[in-house]
Amino acid sequence: MRKILSVIKREYIQIVRTKGFIIGTILGPVLMAAILVVPIVVASMTVEKQETIGVADLSREIFLDLDKKLGEKEYMLKDGFRRYVLKKFERPPVGSIDELKKELNAKVLNKELSAYILIPEHVLGDEAAVSAVQEAGSRDNDVEYVSQHTSDFEKLGSLNNALNSVIIEKRLKREGLDPEKISQFIQRVRLKPIKVTKKGEEEDTMGTFMVSYFLALIIYMAIFIYGSVIMRGVIEEKSSRVIEVILSSMRPFQLMLGKILGIGAVGLTQFSVWAVFGLAATSYSKSFIPAGAEISLVSIPTYVFIYFVVFFILGYFLYATFYAAVGSLVNSEKEAQQLVMPITMFLILPLLLLIFVIRSPDSGLSVFLSLFPLFTPIIMMLRIAVLLPPFVQIGASIVLLILTVLLMTWLAAKIYRVGVLMYGKPPKFAEIVRWIRYK
Amino acid sequence: MYALEIESITKRFGDFYAVKKLSLKIPKGTVYGLLGPNGAGKTTTIRMVMNIIIPDEGSIKVLERSMDEEMKERIGYLPEDRGLYPKMKVGELLVFLAELKGLTGANARKEIDFWLERFDLSAWKMKKVEELSRGMQQKLQFIVTVIHQPELIILDEPFGGLDPVNTKLLKDVMLEMKRKGRTIVFSTHRMEQVEMICDNICLINKAERVLEGNLSQIKKRYGKNTIVLNYDGDASFIRSFPEVEKIDDYGKFMEIKLKERSDTQALLQNLVGKISINKYEVKEPSLNAIFIEKVGGKGVEDEKDTVSH
Repeated sequence: MRKILSVIKREYIQIVRTKGFIIGTILGPVLMAAILVVPIVVASMTVEKQETIGVADLSREIFLDLDKKLGEKEYMLKDGFRRYVLKKFERPPVGSIDELKKELNAKVLNKELSAYILIPEHVLGDEAAVSAVQEAGSRDNDVEYVSQHTSDFEKLGSLNNALNSVIIEKRLKREGLDPEKISQFIQRVRLKPIKVTKKGEEEDTMGTFMVSYFLALIIYMAIFIYGSVIMRGVIEEKSSRVIEVILSSMRPFQLMLGKILGIGAVGLTQFSVWAVFGLAATSYSKSFIPAGAEISLVSIPTYVFIYFVVFFILGYFLYATFYAAVGSLVNSEKEAQQLVMPITMFLILPLLLLIFVIRSPDSGLSVFLSLFPLFTPIIMMLRIAVLLPPFVQIGASIVLLILTVLLMTWLAAKIYRVGVLMYGKPPKFAEIVRWIRYK
Repeated sequence: MYALEIESITKRFGDFYAVKKLSLKIPKGTVYGLLGPNGAGKTTTIRMVMNIIIPDEGSIKVLERSMDEEMKERIGYLPEDRGLYPKMKVGELLVFLAELKGLTGANARKEIDFWLERFDLSAWKMKKVEELSRGMQQKLQFIVTVIHQPELIILDEPFGGLDPVNTKLLKDVMLEMKRKGRTIVFSTHRMEQVEMICDNICLINKAERVLEGNLSQIKKRYGKNTIVLNYDGDASFIRSFPEVEKIDDYGKFMEIKLKERSDTQALLQNLVGKISINKYEVKEPSLNAIFIEKVGGKGVEDEKDTVSH
C-alpha cells in the first residue's frame, strides 16, 4: 500500500507540475469561453455603413413604401443616418427586363450600386396571376437581390423583413383586411415544457437536455484524455527501460494500480478546477441572460451528481485498465494507435447514440445499451439525468459494471505483467491469450 | 548460511524452456558469477529471483526466507535493461526509488547525499536525468541499486556498456560491498571479469546448469595441462603435434590444451628456434577455455527474444 502511494504521488506531481497541464487547465475554460463568446462579439463588431441599393420595381407599387419602411429607426445606422439609400430604376418603355438587368449588373460591378433589388411585376398578385406567370415559363415570383457580396446574412435578413412586411401589408389591404388585426390573429403560442418530479413542477426548455449531454461528454472526455495519459506513461516506462528497476521493488499490479489512481487524481484535479470556473461563469453570466430567454436553467437533483461521481469513477477505471494493457503491449505511441482503435470505438458509439437515448430514455434499446458495461458509464448516466430509471436497472448496471471492472483489471494486470518486459514486435492476439495463462 | 538458494526451478514460455531444473546455492558474503552465452537463461533466472517472473516449478529462498515481495527491500537489483525516468530530477528520482525500497525521510536524504557525493554527482541533484551524460546516468543507476543498503546485490550484465572509468568504479563498489559482508551475484558472458572477482560460479547453457562450484576448485579439476604462449612468427605447425588436444590461437597469443600427462617441457623444446617466444607458462585452463569447451561456442542467440515467447 505504501508503495502504491509512492507511485500515486510521483505520477501526480510529475504531471501536475508540467507546463502542459497548467496551461491546459487554465486555458481549457478560457478557450471554451472564447469559442462561445468571440463569434458573438465579433458579429456585433461588424462595421455597418451606408450603401446605395438600386430598386427596379416592376410592379410599380412597392418602391415608395419600401423607401419609407427603410427610413424607420430599426433600419438606421447607429449614428442616425439611413443605412440603405434606395435609387429607383424604371424599366425602359421598349427594352426588356434583361436589358435593364444588364445595365444594373454593370452598375453593381463598377460599385456605383452595392446591390439592386428586382421586384417582379405580379409580386402583389393573387395566386392565379402568379401561377399564370410561372406557367408562361418566364421568371418566378421571387424578388431578386443582386450583389457582388451575398453572404452577409444579417443584411439579407433585414432587407427581407422590410420587403415582406411591406408586401404582405399591401396584399392584405388590397383584400380589405386590417393588417394590425391579422397580425394579432396569427400570433403563435409557445409550447412550454414543464418537468414534473416528486418535488413539483419546473419549467425546462433545454436544461435537462444540455445537462445530460454535458455530463456524458465529461465522462467521455475524462476517459479519453486520461486513458491516453496512462497509456503514454506505460509506454514511457517501457521505452526508457525504467520498468524493471521499478518491478524490482513492487508487483506489476501495484505499479499499474498506482499509475491509474495517480493519473485519475490528476483528472479529478483538472475537472475540479474547471467546475469552479464553470460555476463562477454561470453565476456571472446569469445576469446576462435576459428574462424569458429560451434557456431556463433547470435545477439538477442531487442524486444525478452522486450517480455522476459513481459512473465517472467506474468508467474511468474500466477504460484505464484497457489503456494500461495496450500501453504494455507496444513500444511506441505509433504502434499503440492501431491497438487503441477498439477502445476508441466503444467510447464513441455511446456518443453517436446520445440523441436517441435522450429522446427515448426508457425504450428497450436504451435499457439494453445502459446495461452493457462498456456503455454503462455514459448511457446510464444520460438516462438518469433525463428520466430516472427504476432502481433495479441502475443497481444492475452498477453491479455489472463493477464485475467488468474487476475482470478487466485482472485481465489487464495479467497482460501488463508480461507485456512490460517484452520488447520487439507487438504480440498477436493468440499470444496475449497465452500470457493470461502464465503463472 | 546461504544468501540465495535456488531449488530446481523451471520456467517455460509456451514450449520453450527458458530455465530447466536449475539449482544453485550462494554462500553469504561471496561474489557469485552467473555465466552463460546469450540466451542461456541468466536474465530469466535473475527475474525469477526478483519475483518479477514466477517460476513454474521449484522454490527460491533468499536470505533464508522464501522469496516474496517484502524481500525485495533487502535486495539491490541492476537489470540488464537499464533505465531511469528521463524527465525526473535526480534528487526526486532517488527519493522515489528509495521510498519503493522502504527507505524514507531523513534516512533517505542522508543516503542520497552520501552517494551523490561519493559518485561526484552532487552538483546534478536538481538537474533532470535526461541532462546527464551517459556515464553519469550509469553512476546514478549504481546508486539506485545500492542506496537502501541491500544484503543481496544482483547485477545483470553490470559491465555491459560501461566506460573504463565506471567499470573500475563499479568493481570497487562491488568489492567494498563484499568486505561489508554483502553477497553479490552477477551475470555476464565476459570471462576475464569473472576470473578476477568471483569466488563461485555457475555456468548455464540452454536453460540448464552445466557447471557449478568454487572457481579455483573447478579450475584445479581441469588440471595443469594448459600452456599460455606469447609469441611472434608463424606458429601454425604446433597443431600437428600429437600431444596437442586443442588450440585457441589469437595470432600473438595462444592457449594450448594438452592431452593428459603430456610433457610440457618437450613441447617447449620443439618450439625453440621456430618462433620467437615471449612467454611460456604452464597453468590451469582459463575460464574462457572451460566456457568454450562446455558450451561449444554455439548457442548464441539474442537473450531478449527468449525472455518471453
